Amino acid sequence: MNDSRVEKWLLAGPPMLFMLALFAVPGAIMLVASFRYPGEFGGLAPLNGLAQGFTLETYRFFFSDFIYTEVFIKSVAMATLTTLFCLLLAYPLALVIARSPKRDALVLLVILPFASNFLIRVYAWMILLGPQSALSEMCNAVLRWFGAHPVELLFSPFAVLVAMVYAHLPFMVLPLYANLIRHDRLLLDAAQDLGASAWQRFWRVTFPLSLPGVYSGSALVFIPALGMFVIPEILGGTKDMLIGNLIKEQFLVTRDWPFGATLAIMLTLAVMLIAWLAGKAGGRHA
Amino acid sequence: MRKMWAFAVFLFLYLPLLVVVVYSFNDSRLNAEWVGFTLGWYRVLMGDDEMLKAAGNSLLVAFLSSLISTLLGTMAGIAIQRYRMRFLNFLVMAPVAMPEVLVGVSLLLFYIQFIGMRLGILSVVLAHVAFSVGFAAVVVRVSLAALDYHLFEAARDLGASPFRVFWHVTFPLILPGVVAGFLMAFTLSIDDFVITFFTAGVGFQTLPLRIYSMIKIAVTPEVNAVSTLLMLLTLSLMLLAMRLAPEALKGRA
Amino acid sequence: MKYLLLLLLSFSAHAEEVLYLYNWNNYISDRTIERFERQCACRVEQDYYSDNEEMLARLAAGAAGYDLIVPTGNAVESLIRQHALRPLDKSKLPNLRNIAPSFMNTWFDPGNVYSVPYAYTITLIGYNSEKIRELNLPVDSWAVIFDPRYLAKIKGRVTVLDSQRELIAAALKYLGYSANDTDEKHWDLARDVILKAKPYWAAFNASSYIRALATGDIWLVHGYSNDIFQADQDAKAAGRKFRILASLPKEGAVLALDSMVLHRSGKHPRLALSFINFMLEGENSAELTNLIGSGNPNMAAMKYILSEIADNPAVFPKDMKNLEMLRDLDYRQRRIMSRIWTEIKLR
Repeated sequence: MNDSRVEKWLLAGPPMLFMLALFAVPGAIMLVASFRYPGEFGGLAPLNGLAQGFTLETYRFFFSDFIYTEVFIKSVAMATLTTLFCLLLAYPLALVIARSPKRDALVLLVILPFASNFLIRVYAWMILLGPQSALSEMCNAVLRWFGAHPVELLFSPFAVLVAMVYAHLPFMVLPLYANLIRHDRLLLDAAQDLGASAWQRFWRVTFPLSLPGVYSGSALVFIPALGMFVIPEILGGTKDMLIGNLIKEQFLVTRDWPFGATLAIMLTLAVMLIAWLAGKAGGRHA
Repeated sequence: MRKMWAFAVFLFLYLPLLVVVVYSFNDSRLNAEWVGFTLGWYRVLMGDDEMLKAAGNSLLVAFLSSLISTLLGTMAGIAIQRYRMRFLNFLVMAPVAMPEVLVGVSLLLFYIQFIGMRLGILSVVLAHVAFSVGFAAVVVRVSLAALDYHLFEAARDLGASPFRVFWHVTFPLILPGVVAGFLMAFTLSIDDFVITFFTAGVGFQTLPLRIYSMIKIAVTPEVNAVSTLLMLLTLSLMLLAMRLAPEALKGRA
Repeated sequence: MKYLLLLLLSFSAHAEEVLYLYNWNNYISDRTIERFERQCACRVEQDYYSDNEEMLARLAAGAAGYDLIVPTGNAVESLIRQHALRPLDKSKLPNLRNIAPSFMNTWFDPGNVYSVPYAYTITLIGYNSEKIRELNLPVDSWAVIFDPRYLAKIKGRVTVLDSQRELIAAALKYLGYSANDTDEKHWDLARDVILKAKPYWAAFNASSYIRALATGDIWLVHGYSNDIFQADQDAKAAGRKFRILASLPKEGAVLALDSMVLHRSGKHPRLALSFINFMLEGENSAELTNLIGSGNPNMAAMKYILSEIADNPAVFPKDMKNLEMLRDLDYRQRRIMSRIWTEIKLR
């Protein structure tokens, strides 16, 4: 019994200590910051005694105005769409990779584009979606065929979504792959022997077993997608502000750290709420 | 059908990349239409010590931080899955949920005003580890979740020590997950701008920092060239790793 | 290999002094740096920022070690009031006399105790010469950016700066107020003007409009004079049939004067001073203008500046009285403006 206690802390101790130092302490600093006044020049106002320096001002400001909640709702919708499309693209791919004899090479192929630079990939999408690009012209030729108005692909929610899906895809593929590769082929063979069709085998055997992969992949896409700000900044049009942009703005433009910290804390709470709801809905799988 | 789909997804992944590579050979500053073939941008790059140094720093940081975070993440993943440690799970996952700007600013405050640390490569590596441990832990958990727990019990019943069980049973089984975690941590680190921006000190530049500061004046194809080279380098390093440790990437038990 | 070599070099070259310069990207010519390095037998290390606020945020969190920074006026003011700057020893700066008097003794640093003017840019209208002529649009007024009557002709081909201060300042100017007006009612009016014009704009854009102008994807922008110069250079190099021209609206515009200042955390103030004096020499200062098309406050530099830049009224305006420098806002005003900006971006 004692042995397993030792084992437990040998395993859990180092990551726990590391995260306590590098996440919990800075996180606490920010929590405290959200109850402070901003400094005149940025940063935080100097603290004169414990009683005066603290306020609920930023939280009041947040709730006094529905517009910030609107930004949240919009960002959650965008992150949800991103997650759904990632899942749709990644699942069949992960399945093919997990069952391929060349799976190691294929995994490398998935990750390789992401060794180039993020910004340069976003710029590549800008070129691909630009009004004079082949893709745009093809798309508009088809639209004209149907008698519809031509569209602009760049600087639109569509462009933002495409790049968001693109940027987060590996974080869906890899957890799915890590799960699918451990599935027991014997189960599928048995199902086939029992006369299950390919579709039935997938829905009754493979998919339920892969749910942990689906959940983790979704978390690893949804959560970072929620805080994303570079993509809407570069590819978005005149309406594509997300919560990530708003938070970044508080630190890098408005120099309003307390409000930025408040927004970030609301975001973290929203993520935890959504995770909890998903856990409820997913029941035992979560 | 499924293979077609996979092919289409690969097309989606590589289409922008094709643009990146092709334009690195384009004889135009503008990144617009094809003008003519040139190796000029590679020549510019070879003369640009700052850019090369930044690329080198990026690779170094990515390797160090993904190694450490894979190690910590694997330990955390196993501990969370085996002992149901909810608090540890919260600790490693929370930075994934926190917006990057907040992680960056709070780490900078922490480094400078709490522990008086000198900013530089170490502060950047530690910061990268902090946000990528969660990613590694998750994949390791996922691969453990798919395993048959009786396997470990059987091994124990046969009298294997915990260490032997881990090394001969658990580790080979979760290896694909560990490798996937490493790869995720690697891409996260090599692409990170926001957190690096805050935690890098005077005179320490990574490639994303260098490139982001260039967007103000339009990115030249030199950046395409350095991206292309970086990809080639990563590819060869990974292929080399596969050669040296063929078992490591195979995911066989 | 180069990288390894550099690593080795940086180990062996520890004895030589290093000047840490925290500068805008591409805001000094490599040749200028090389000349200075030869002259002082030292090394210049640069870090870059692309936004004043970005630089201030990093300093506010405690980043340190920079000898020299090149902030814009309102950021200089903010740094002075934070006591973050070192007063300049003017006896080490004989070349200070080269600066035109109109750029000295500004509101943000009366008497130039802390700052020396470096270069300036103006936020104005940039446009595609061919398209604007075809569409017959008047580019001498902010109306072309804000009035739906004109915008209807050019829908989806216009971008504006992704900067709350700059865009609201332009709208305030269009309405006939000062760019530094802090009356919230006027801000609301500016917001309404922007919201009415917004459906016709393609995007809020921070930087890629340079490329979009030069490729011909975008025809009209609210942007910085040096960016528009850059877009024109690019269009010329790519052999485009059109030019990218700049126009200073008659209602007036924002002028951003960047100055060299010494940060208190820097360890080499003596070297930094000799750098400032070096940059004040006409030839060195002109090199920057010829590189990026920025305005130049240095009188001794004028004779080295290419005539096409020197004669361009959008870079060197004849009449400076309609130009305003943005002043810093206090935190309550900043919060209100951010709230207005959120509404602008969301609606």
